[in-house]
Amino acid sequence: MRLQLPLPLLAALTALTTFTHAARLTLTIAPNALLSSASVLPPSTHATLQSSGPPLRALLTKTNTFVFDNVTAGSYLGVIHCRDIAFEALRIDVSSGEGLQKVEAWQTFWGNEWENKGEKRGEGSGGVVVEVRPVGVKEFYQSRGGFDPLSFLKSPMILMALFSMVIIFGMPYLMENMDAETKAEFEEMRGKGVLSGGPTPASQIQNFDLASWMAGKTDSGPPPAAAIEPAQGKGKKRG
Amino acid sequence: MRLHAALGSTSLFVASCLAIFADDAGHIDYHYALVGLPKQDATLFQQPFAGSKASLIYTLSDKLVIGAVNPKDGELVWRQPLSSSTNTTEGYLRAGEDQDTVISAAGDQVAAWSSSDGRYVWGSKFPGSTVKDLEILELPDSKADRDVKDAIVLLSGGVQGVKRLDGKTGIVRWTYEDASGDVPFQVSSSAISIYYISLHSTLLGGIKIKVTSLDTLSGQKLEQYTLSSESDVSSHESILFAGANSASPLLAWTDKAKKTVKINILGTKSTTTIAVPTKGTDDVVKITLHAPHRINSLSHFLIQYDTATSHAAEVYHVDAQKNTIIKAYSLPELPGKGAFTTSTSDANVLFTRITPEETIVVSSASHAVLGRWPTKKATFTDDAYPVQGVSEVAFRSGSAQAVRSAVLFSNGQWTLVRNGVLIWARPELLANAITAVWADLPEEEALAHELAIEGHQNVVAAYIHRITRHIRDLTHLPAYIRSIPAQVVANFAGKSANPTPREVQQDAFGFHKLVIVATDKGRLVALDAGSAGRIVWSVDLAAAATLQDPVLRAAHGLIEVNAKGLETPIFVNSTTGALISSEAARAIQDPTLVADELISYDVVNGELKGYLGDVKAVDPIWGFAPSKGERIIGYTARPVVDPVASIGKVLGDRSVLYKYLNPNLVLVTTVIDSTRTASVYLLDSASGNVLHAVSHPNIDTSRAIPSAISEHWFSYSLTLDASTDDTCRGYQLIVAELYESALANDRGPLGAASNSSSFQPSSASGDAAKPYVISQTYQIPEEISLMTATQTRQGITSRELLITLPESNSIVGIPRYIIDPRRPIGRDPTPLEASEGITKYNPALQFDPKWYLNHNMEIIGVKDVITSAALVESTSLVFSYGLDIFGTRVAPSFAFDMLGKGFNKIQMLATVLALGVGVVFVAPLVRRKQINALWQIT
Repeated sequence: MRLQLPLPLLAALTALTTFTHAARLTLTIAPNALLSSASVLPPSTHATLQSSGPPLRALLTKTNTFVFDNVTAGSYLGVIHCRDIAFEALRIDVSSGEGLQKVEAWQTFWGNEWENKGEKRGEGSGGVVVEVRPVGVKEFYQSRGGFDPLSFLKSPMILMALFSMVIIFGMPYLMENMDAETKAEFEEMRGKGVLSGGPTPASQIQNFDLASWMAGKTDSGPPPAAAIEPAQGKGKKRG
Repeated sequence: MRLHAALGSTSLFVASCLAIFADDAGHIDYHYALVGLPKQDATLFQQPFAGSKASLIYTLSDKLVIGAVNPKDGELVWRQPLSSSTNTTEGYLRAGEDQDTVISAAGDQVAAWSSSDGRYVWGSKFPGSTVKDLEILELPDSKADRDVKDAIVLLSGGVQGVKRLDGKTGIVRWTYEDASGDVPFQVSSSAISIYYISLHSTLLGGIKIKVTSLDTLSGQKLEQYTLSSESDVSSHESILFAGANSASPLLAWTDKAKKTVKINILGTKSTTTIAVPTKGTDDVVKITLHAPHRINSLSHFLIQYDTATSHAAEVYHVDAQKNTIIKAYSLPELPGKGAFTTSTSDANVLFTRITPEETIVVSSASHAVLGRWPTKKATFTDDAYPVQGVSEVAFRSGSAQAVRSAVLFSNGQWTLVRNGVLIWARPELLANAITAVWADLPEEEALAHELAIEGHQNVVAAYIHRITRHIRDLTHLPAYIRSIPAQVVANFAGKSANPTPREVQQDAFGFHKLVIVATDKGRLVALDAGSAGRIVWSVDLAAAATLQDPVLRAAHGLIEVNAKGLETPIFVNSTTGALISSEAARAIQDPTLVADELISYDVVNGELKGYLGDVKAVDPIWGFAPSKGERIIGYTARPVVDPVASIGKVLGDRSVLYKYLNPNLVLVTTVIDSTRTASVYLLDSASGNVLHAVSHPNIDTSRAIPSAISEHWFSYSLTLDASTDDTCRGYQLIVAELYESALANDRGPLGAASNSSSFQPSSASGDAAKPYVISQTYQIPEEISLMTATQTRQGITSRELLITLPESNSIVGIPRYIIDPRRPIGRDPTPLEASEGITKYNPALQFDPKWYLNHNMEIIGVKDVITSAALVESTSLVFSYGLDIFGTRVAPSFAFDMLGKGFNKIQMLATVLALGVGVVFVAPLVRRKQINALWQIT
């Protein structure tokens, strides 16, 4: 039915069809992993078929179905309204023809063109049973990040702090408990400046002599202090 | 260092969605799941299924909502609003003994509901007819030995007559058609037959009562007789009672002067006349007949006589063999009002008399009191009296062990009284709310008033005023200091100190605001939004005046009630609910400080007119007439108090789009039915100029078009019509933003002018300075019935669009950044846009369940949602009324100025203590190390 009929004529047509054979549409809930049994759904769960004017409504019955009697010809948007579970939307076409009406149901997608149909969900004439599928459980609440000692320990900041604590408190203890030979070796190394004797990169940067570097002085080993220093000093005084 | 950066960036995205914390649910929000005032003959105690130990209270209310209430705590087990195509308030609810369904009838529909969970079992529709009565056929059917009991329905209009419906499927088993043209009144059944009672109007205006007995199996007419009641009965209100489904059903009516009661035992043609006892000088104003409804109970009944100041009752017995009515005894006259209820225990009939002072149980056989429980005085407040009720009596070995009664009180509280003790109370009076308004607490208003005085004085006077005010405030200091320990303890316990009833405490956050609700029964009720919607006071204005379309206004500790029938407004004190004379009110109200709407609107003859001030009598300053064939369906003005913190929107490249901020904006929605077009006009309400207009084709014009306007944006929602085969279907939400100019850093034609006129906005061109409008449309999965925006104190917090979804019984708060019309279409946002928080446009907007303000509660029948600012900037208070009362608070930009429940105070104290202990231990170590560093040479 792609005819663009004026509204009064359309209304007259729909009124006429009510006296012929109006379709009976039954929607059943297909249980899946999200919803094992539809019996747990609240009694306010209902389905609507919207086309023009007030939508048709059908409440969820005791047998977990939605029954629409007297569905007249038209193309309907079928939506299940439920507090706990989200259901997929359906496109339901009821075509007016001779005798019984033909009913077809497809999956439909929000924000898509109406012609963009999904998988077929049911087809038949007269009384049709169409399956609707749950697509998601509605999660209303935000979980509060509570205090968890394990995650607290996993935090990098805490790990870093703990590591430095181990260094501060553990190193002197280790040093004390070293046997004499190793200690002597260690002291020797320290004396050589492997561990702490030489200038650290940080102190090098802090003590960086920009002026001398700009002057083109190459930092190649300790300069012969006695030879150059006084001469420069004199030169400065003179200038 | 990179680690640090990563840490910082993650903390930004932790709370990227707005939702209610599970432990906040029920603390920040409150919900009264109401049904409405229960109907007397449609309220019953009943086991949800045969053999069940506990029973539930089932009721059908004046709002045609079926509710099943747990008698233990008053919690709602389930409820179902009856949808009726016809506009009726008449409804019936019956339940057969040992059945697992309750059957309801309203309008043209009869439906059966599962008693235990409220699921729909079956429904029958009788188009063109109205159900006038519904009864359950209690008799075991000889035809089939089924345990399902059938229903008898009386219909008027269309096919008038009686129908028997199958109790399992609702299929009509037989129909008795009545073509006589009499007014159908009621049906009743006895052990032998079904009685159909109709009213036959005589030429002289009186009404004859016609009784037709029908065969239960076939619906054939067995017998018909007419009672000559035309001298007494002129309207159906004179008929006191008909039926009772008991062994000998009765028909009772009274004359206009209420001097005699005439009773006919259905099936016999004779009538018995009972003279109404006249004690004292007071006339009997109301006669009520109470009879048991069970078929195997004794045929005893009670007639209650109410005068203006007292009530009394007489008990009668029906002799089924002789068909006579004999008076058994009378119950003493008691001052004040009282209610009688009937209950049965096997064949015994027990009457329970409930007065504000005591509950008495008597047997119908003798006048001996079986049980008497004085009422605990504190339970019934503000001299309310019982109006009606139902009771369940534990009757063993000849005495009443216990009695529990679901009683409706005159103040609209539906309560359960067990042995004289009030167990619970449901504020069903709030189900009839028609309008509501926020009222500030008087202390807060008093401070604002004082500050306003200081603001209007010269510096010296203002300074002196302030000093004296501070000295005056010092008197509160000792009390404040005394309250500190309790507050600290309560804070750590996670509880707030309970305020005493009738007192609303001011809090630092400003959550304690009053909501004044007007009900259609002429009551004014104040709720404290800060303490779970507690009723602070409730006054009955019905005595003072009938309120039709009341309009409430709150200012300076006063509530001003204006209504259609009122000549002068009624003033009520907002903290106590006491009525104040208008002279005293005028004295309190400082006319200079009244902030009010400058322009008021009215739709006259399909034309929207704007009036200066509140006076509708003066000529309109402008009128907006839509084109031919177009009708105005609604208008929304920008709220009077709508603070805006920033006049521009800073873009990603640090340039600014200036907002079009006009305080006089009104959005008009119109439709053209013939072309299925909806149009939206944005008007300047000072001049009446059209600032922006847009129309949408292929719209279902029969559906509502809700709209909201705030700050520099507006939104509305449309329903697409079915005839649009090639485009999409469903519902649309359109959001538009107004800017001064399309260009950034440009202020449009007004430039930086500090003053502008709505009439001649731009002196240069004489042309109206029209805003630059950008809008976007979203496809939404559900129809919206109402829209509003949140309000905060300074308008710094971003707003949230609150929409009401009637199909899923919810209120959803959509964050503004989700529906930003500047979302890029067809491409990903540039890094600059992404830094503004804009995401790519997606035509389908799904409502995230985390946006649902009501989370797992269902809010039925929302009439309006009102918002108000709290004292803290982050939070907006939300209140919705209609059938249900629901209130919550929302923080659209998160609660940045207060600590939530997630802030663990004990943990914080523990951390501080642990650090303290750590310092104590580490300090000597550090000191030793420092000293060693100075003295030791390595």
